[in-house]
Amino acid sequence: MKLMPSRPNVEAKAAPARQTGAAMITIDRVSQVFRTSGRREHLAISDISLTIEDGAFVSILGPSGCGKSTLLYIVGGFVSPTEGVARVKGKAIRGPGPDRGPVFQEFALFPWKSVLGNVMYGPRQQGVKSGEAEAQSRALIEKVGLKGFEHFYPKELSGGMKQRVALARTLAYHPAVLLMDEPFGALDAHTRTRLQNDLLKIWERDRKTVLFVTHSVEEAVFLSDRVVVMTRAPGRIKQIVEIDLPRPRRRSELLLDPRYQKYVVDIEGMIDDTSEDELRP
Amino acid sequence: MTVIRAFVSRSAPLMACLGLLAIWQVAALMLKTDSFPGAWEAIKAIPSILGDQESLINILASIRRMAIGFSVAVLVSIPLGLMMGRSRAIASFFNPLLMITYPVPKAALMPIILLWLGVGDIAKMLVIFLGVSLPVIYHSFQGAKAIEEKMLWSGAAMGLSATQRMIRIVLPAALPEILTGCRTGLVLALITMVTSEMIARQSGAGNILFNALDMGQYDTVYAMIIIIGAMGIGLDAAFERLRARLVRWSEPAFEIPLSFA
Repeated sequence: MKLMPSRPNVEAKAAPARQTGAAMITIDRVSQVFRTSGRREHLAISDISLTIEDGAFVSILGPSGCGKSTLLYIVGGFVSPTEGVARVKGKAIRGPGPDRGPVFQEFALFPWKSVLGNVMYGPRQQGVKSGEAEAQSRALIEKVGLKGFEHFYPKELSGGMKQRVALARTLAYHPAVLLMDEPFGALDAHTRTRLQNDLLKIWERDRKTVLFVTHSVEEAVFLSDRVVVMTRAPGRIKQIVEIDLPRPRRRSELLLDPRYQKYVVDIEGMIDDTSEDELRP
Repeated sequence: MTVIRAFVSRSAPLMACLGLLAIWQVAALMLKTDSFPGAWEAIKAIPSILGDQESLINILASIRRMAIGFSVAVLVSIPLGLMMGRSRAIASFFNPLLMITYPVPKAALMPIILLWLGVGDIAKMLVIFLGVSLPVIYHSFQGAKAIEEKMLWSGAAMGLSATQRMIRIVLPAALPEILTGCRTGLVLALITMVTSEMIARQSGAGNILFNALDMGQYDTVYAMIIIIGAMGIGLDAAFERLRARLVRWSEPAFEIPLSFA
C-alpha cells in the first residue's frame, strides 16, 4: 500500500523537544520533496517551523501550488515529511489518528452511507455503542443545519450540504485538531459565506484547534487568530500575521471594520510581492 | 399518459422478444429447409425436453457447474482485483499474466485442461472459472484504482487499519464497478459452460444440444438454444435486481428496464 509511507529514521532519533505551555501542534523544520513522473525532484515546502497553540484558529494562505495542503497532510499524518518533524501534543506524528480530523475540499464522504451513516462512522469505529453514536450524530447533524436529511445519500446533496456532512462526520469523533484543506474552495460564493459563518459559530462555541488551508485572503482574515502567508513553490513562510479582531465576529460588522480591511489589503500585498518574486528569472 | 408510457416501457423487452420470434418464424417459412425449423416448432419441442428426466438432470448439472465455477471465480477475483487496484507492486506482478490470458479463448484451453484433469466436472468448472475471472478482476481493479485517496485518508483518521480500509472502504466504494464485472462474468459463465460441454461431451445442456445436432433433431437444437438463451436472460435479470438493490446509493435516477418484472 502506498497510502502511508513509513517515516524516515531521522524522526525516531530526534529527541521529542516537548513544548511547554499549550502547544498543540509543532512543526519543526519540515521540508517535503516529491518525485515527479519525469524523475525530477520537486521541493514542495522548505524548512517550515510553526507552533499552533491549543484552541487557536490558524490559516495557511498562499498561491496554489505553494505546498500549503502538503503541510496539512503532514500534520494529518497522510504524508511523511522528507525532513523535519511534526508533533501533536509533543508526540511525533507517525500516521493519521482520530486526534486530528481532516475536512477535505473534495468532501470525501462515503457514498454508500447515508448522512447519518457517515456521521456515525467515526464514533462506531471508536467503539461508541450504536444507540449512543446515533443520538450524538443526530445532534451534530442538527448543529450543522441538516436536520431532516439524515437518510439522504451524499449523491442527493448539494456541495454545501456535503461539506456540512463532512464537517459533522469529523466533529463526531472529537478530534483535538481540525485540519481543513480548502474546505469551501469548491463552493459558490453564497454557500461559501454561509458555511464560513456557521463554522465560525460552531468554532466559537467549542474552540478546537483549527489548521485551515485557503487561498482566499478574506476567508483567512475573517476566520483566523493568525494567518500564515506562504511564498510560491517551494513554499516557505513569508510572514505570520496576528489577526487582532474581536470575537465573536460578525460578517456584517467586520466587512465595515477598517482594521479588517487593512488586514486584507496588507496580506494581499504580501501575496502580490510573492508572485512578482516568482516572475523574475 | 403516464400509464401508457409505463406499460410501453415495461412491456418493451417482451415485445422485442416476440418480434424476434416472429421474424424467425417468417424466415423459416420462407427458407423451408429441414435444418432451420420455425420458432413455433422449436417452442413446441421445449416441454418434451423439460419434461424428460434425463434432460433435466443434464441441465441441472450444467447449472451446478456454472454456479460453482462462477462463485469460486468471484471469490478469488474480487480480492485479487482490489489488491491490484491499491498496490502497484501486486498490479505489476499480475498484470502481465492477465494480459497473456486475456485474448486466449478459454475454450481453446479446453484440450489441455482435458488432458490434465479429464473430462469430468473439474475441467469444465475450471474453464468457467477462467472465463469469469478476467472481467471480474478487471472491473474490481478499475474500481479500486478509481477510489478517491482522501476517502481512505478520512477512514485512516478515524482509526481504520489498512485491512479494515480494504474491506470497509475499498470494497463498498468499488462495489458498483465490481458488480458490473460480475454481470459480464455471469454471461461469460453461461457461454463457457456451453462451449465446455460442446468440447467435452458427457453431460449438460450443451451436450443435449450438440447430440441433437449430430442426430439431425433440429427442433431440439433450436429448443435448447431458446432454453439456454432464456436461462441467460433470467440470470441476468435476477442479477440486475440484486445489483440495483446493493448499489442503490450510486444509481442515476434513470434506468432502462432490463427485466420482465
